[in-house]
Amino acid sequence: MGNILEINNLCKKYDNFELKDITFSLPKGMIMGFIGENGSGKTTTIKAILGIIKKYEGDIKIFGVDNKTNSEEFKEDIGVVLDDMFFPEILTPNDINNSFKSIFKNWDSKMFYDYLKEFSLLPNKQIKTFSKGMRKKLEIITSLSHKPKLLILDEPTSGLDPVARLEIINIFQKFIENADASILFSTHITTDLEHIADYITFIDNGHIILSKTKDELLEKYGIVKCTFEEFQKIDKKDYQKALKSKYEYKVLVSDKRKFKDKYNIKVIDKVTLDELMILMVKGED
Amino acid sequence: MLGFIKKDLAIIKSNFKILGILIICYIFMSISGKMDISFILPFMSVMIMISSFSYDTYNKWDAYLITLPNGRKNSVKAKYGATVLLIGVTSIVTILISCLISFKSINFEELLVTNLGTIFGTLLVLSIMYPIIYKFGLEKARIMIFAGVFGVVIIGGFLLEKIDLTNVLKPLAFLENYLILILIIVMVIMVYISYFISLKIQMNKEY
Repeated sequence: MGNILEINNLCKKYDNFELKDITFSLPKGMIMGFIGENGSGKTTTIKAILGIIKKYEGDIKIFGVDNKTNSEEFKEDIGVVLDDMFFPEILTPNDINNSFKSIFKNWDSKMFYDYLKEFSLLPNKQIKTFSKGMRKKLEIITSLSHKPKLLILDEPTSGLDPVARLEIINIFQKFIENADASILFSTHITTDLEHIADYITFIDNGHIILSKTKDELLEKYGIVKCTFEEFQKIDKKDYQKALKSKYEYKVLVSDKRKFKDKYNIKVIDKVTLDELMILMVKGED
Repeated sequence: MLGFIKKDLAIIKSNFKILGILIICYIFMSISGKMDISFILPFMSVMIMISSFSYDTYNKWDAYLITLPNGRKNSVKAKYGATVLLIGVTSIVTILISCLISFKSINFEELLVTNLGTIFGTLLVLSIMYPIIYKFGLEKARIMIFAGVFGVVIIGGFLLEKIDLTNVLKPLAFLENYLILILIIVMVIMVYISYFISLKIQMNKEY
């Protein structure tokens, strides 16, 4: 199983923010959740992958090809949804179809119109008459209609209500079922990833904190809830982060079994991606 | 490139009715013979195309187009292509209207030179404006162009007062016979240089 996307030592410096040594890879046919709080560097990383920013250190390979290459053939196989709305709102879905069938060699007008029908988007209505959820659906439909092998999604569900979010997640699930594609799914709403992600890559303040399979994370990582006295007895090297709340300590451990054996603790809670993110960002070493 | 041209034309299609109204105005003005406004249609088509930049920027299309195959290059090609196409179509419409209205007394050479002058003027606007828009964005470009035109008018007016143009242009009088050919060559070179500069700016732009 080869990697469809490889990022090695990506560095980019701004006046007030820096991406440092970003390294991770996405295997073919997998969905990677790219998580982190707002401003952690997700969008900057995605912009570098897509060539929207060009001046950076490190290398990025998509389908084994350096993304700085002059040939942009590889972009035929990438579907993109950016965090901001990006279609000129004066256009209609008909205009999008008309333009994009001349932009992508593999554009499938039938697929595009089938999706429009499925999601009750009128083809002749201007985008400015659509709600935020409808616009996002149109962007996602557009990203799928040239049958990409890699989908790069930057916060596709941000700012949407739970129903619209669920509908959008379902679109991706359906797409993955029918195609041998990979997805890099950036979000700070980690619940969206609980059911669909195979890998989780966590970025914080411009650094990759972890990049692992979701199963490994959810099976091995756990949260120990204990009192201050119990916390004092835990060796620092045996936990990742600890967060003090009003009545207890929440301690994030990266090897539940080992921790159980060493400290003779019977119950270690499973960690959710939300808790993992909060503890990683807010917790103390 | 075709997909981007289609997108640009779809953006400005709501402005086509303005061109329609201008065509009617032009027909009436030509019949009345009071004023020559043959420049209006090609000139407005450039102005309308320039407005498509503001839709691209406002709706953040600029960043997205980079994710499309050859997006940076094809988007620049399309802007120039669509503008030249519109200038061409509106110039043909203008010539046709002139021919239809005054088909008995038409002076074809004069009509051709007048329209070539208009096309030259519109391409000059395009050639100056587009690289500035790509470099600084539409809002800043408008201010810069306004300041530039103002400066040229003031300096030009001052120079015209001091210099006798007839004497300056005398040595170039032999070129008069080749005026049309020279105009066409200058237009092609001017647009190509402008396109090349815009492309260079766009290829290195970050969003």
